Amino acid sequence: MEIRREQLLIDPEKCTGCGRCLMACAMQHCGSVNPSLARIKILPLPSHEIHVPVICMACEDAPCIKVCPMNARLRQANKTVVTNADVCIGCRACVYICPVGAPAIIPYTCQTMTCDLCEGDPAGLWCVTACDEGALTISKSDRLTSDKTRARARLARLDTKPV
Amino acid sequence: MKIVIIGNGIAGNKVAFSLRERDKQSDICILSAEAYPEYDPCSLPYFLGGEVARKDLFRKKSVDYQQHGIELLPSNKAVSIDPDAKKVTTGQGAEIGYDKLVLAHGGDLFFPPIEGIRSEGVFNCKQLSETEKLKAHKGRRAVVIGSGAIGIEVAEALKKMGYEVFIVELLGWILPTLFDETTARRLEAALDGYGIQVFTGEKVLRIQGDPKVTAVLTDRREIPCDTVVVATGVVPGTGLAKTAGIETGRGIKVNKKMETSVPDIYACGDCVETFDACTDETAMFQLKHNAIEQAEIVARNILGENASYLGAYAFARTHFFATHAVTFGKTMRATECLLGKSELIERENGKDYLRVVLLNGRVIGGQAIGRYADAAGLLIGAMWRKDDMDRLRSNWRQLPSSGAVSFWPAISLAQLLDPNNRL
Ligand SMILES: Cc1cc2nc3c(=O)[nH]c(=O)nc-3n(C[C@H](O)[C@H](O)[C@H](O)COP(=O)(O)OP(=O)(O)OC[C@H]3O[C@@H](n4cnc5c(N)ncnc54)[C@H](O)[C@@H]3O)c2cc1C
Ligand code: SF4
Repeated sequence: MEIRREQLLIDPEKCTGCGRCLMACAMQHCGSVNPSLARIKILPLPSHEIHVPVICMACEDAPCIKVCPMNARLRQANKTVVTNADVCIGCRACVYICPVGAPAIIPYTCQTMTCDLCEGDPAGLWCVTACDEGALTISKSDRLTSDKTRARARLARLDTKPV
Repeated sequence: MKIVIIGNGIAGNKVAFSLRERDKQSDICILSAEAYPEYDPCSLPYFLGGEVARKDLFRKKSVDYQQHGIELLPSNKAVSIDPDAKKVTTGQGAEIGYDKLVLAHGGDLFFPPIEGIRSEGVFNCKQLSETEKLKAHKGRRAVVIGSGAIGIEVAEALKKMGYEVFIVELLGWILPTLFDETTARRLEAALDGYGIQVFTGEKVLRIQGDPKVTAVLTDRREIPCDTVVVATGVVPGTGLAKTAGIETGRGIKVNKKMETSVPDIYACGDCVETFDACTDETAMFQLKHNAIEQAEIVARNILGENASYLGAYAFARTHFFATHAVTFGKTMRATECLLGKSELIERENGKDYLRVVLLNGRVIGGQAIGRYADAAGLLIGAMWRKDDMDRLRSNWRQLPSSGAVSFWPAISLAQLLDPNNRL
């Protein structure tokens, strides 16, 4: 059974890399338009003339929760996984195990931060509003997230062998 | 049904609380050698170094056990198991009957046979009580014996506490099981830059001083010190299992359902010998994520689900001061004895370094320092899926940008592996 939840979907073909979502994100969470405080990273892939907004997908079986030595990665009520800044020591295990390297580093504290879907904000998701290109949308369906792909890869392999 | 769990660590708690989530009826009892609710050993070095408070070590509070109807018997070490009578005897002499038994008592610190290793001033960082003794100790010069992940973390913590710190490693380079020499030498240089001196390829012969430590004598030098930390590795605990006639190898042997050779006895966590998810080789990685995943399999099987373990995986990061590194899968050295065409891809940019190990065109391991490490997850994904890197390297430029939402990790990965690409 799948847990139905909201998820932020990205479309690298539409993203122009303008960075407005970064500023909106930083503004919502830190009250500052400093893009280095955003929980979104924009990865340019010039060979294909695309930009990828990299965002935490809150995997169902999130590996970052299991590898964090401080147990700082916490699942919230809205199913997002966020870093508890009271205990994060900035070791980056969560960045390295993440299938897309989503956790961003707060430059001042070296701690990590990830998307919380603007939890509790009646204005909705600031990045979605900020993106004029429609590269960021919110979906309530349960599309494949990378961890499922990974679990499947592991299973597919096992299927080929006697257990 | 009565389920008894031996060990109140990461694995034991995961079994107990996962069971309770879906089974409100059974009696669940945890036997603990230690006096506290569940804490995380991974956090201990950061507690030692003063980065986090003592309360932040704990994953559970005493009331959590009560609220979930889980009986915790602290300071009750299990000493033997009688599988015919289905009961466990504790150090206190109590006998506890079980229907299902779970061995989750972790590993034991390996003490090398060095003269003076039990002297005053010799510590370890395996458990909270030991770490607290070290934290309370007032010393100025410390020698850390062993340079595994824990040894390095302890060295950093001691440095932060104001100690002058030396590391002695028997093998040729630091973090010898996790990193290849090239990567390790860079990390060694970084440690040196932070004022932590490393002596590799050196054997500790004796810890001098009676009763208090005064020096560590190696085959190359004498290092005067008032503090010694033993960080020479953790070995799976097998003694208890042997009392029940359970089959053991280097650790407790289990099948894919995490059952031991004796009916109704399961095992998980640092005490087991299991297999590598990617290579099928025998694995004892003794890492937290593996303990958690194994414990979940135990819980599901006790609940009658018939769940199969997918295997353990090697993933570790090391970080000290501003240096960050990661390793996953197999090292190049561990690959040398494998059949097939192995290939090494290296990239460097100042202090940033990447090495990816391919076998027959598939990623089987990697190590990275600095910025390259941020892409570790992409490489780990490729390793899991057994992506064909030769094909990717030849066709990535032709991948269409339509559908980039699913292609971009491949493009990003190909760029990372392409030496002509400036990154
Ligand atoms: C300092 C340190 C740093 C670490 N850092 C990392 C890291 O960064 N990343 C990572 O993945 N892993 C790390 N690890 C390893 C990780 O902590 C272990 O893999 C994990 O704790 C294993 O869980 P476990 O439940 O099997 O064993 P443990 O957590 O060790 O729990 C076993 C418990 O059983 C108890 N016990 C033992 N014998 C008995 C008995 N006879 N009767 C009753 N109770 C008994 C012990 O007291 C202990 O509480 C670290 C370990 C240490 C010591
Ligand atoms: S960086 Fe922080 S949240 Fe991420 S794994 Fe390390 S301690 Fe946990």
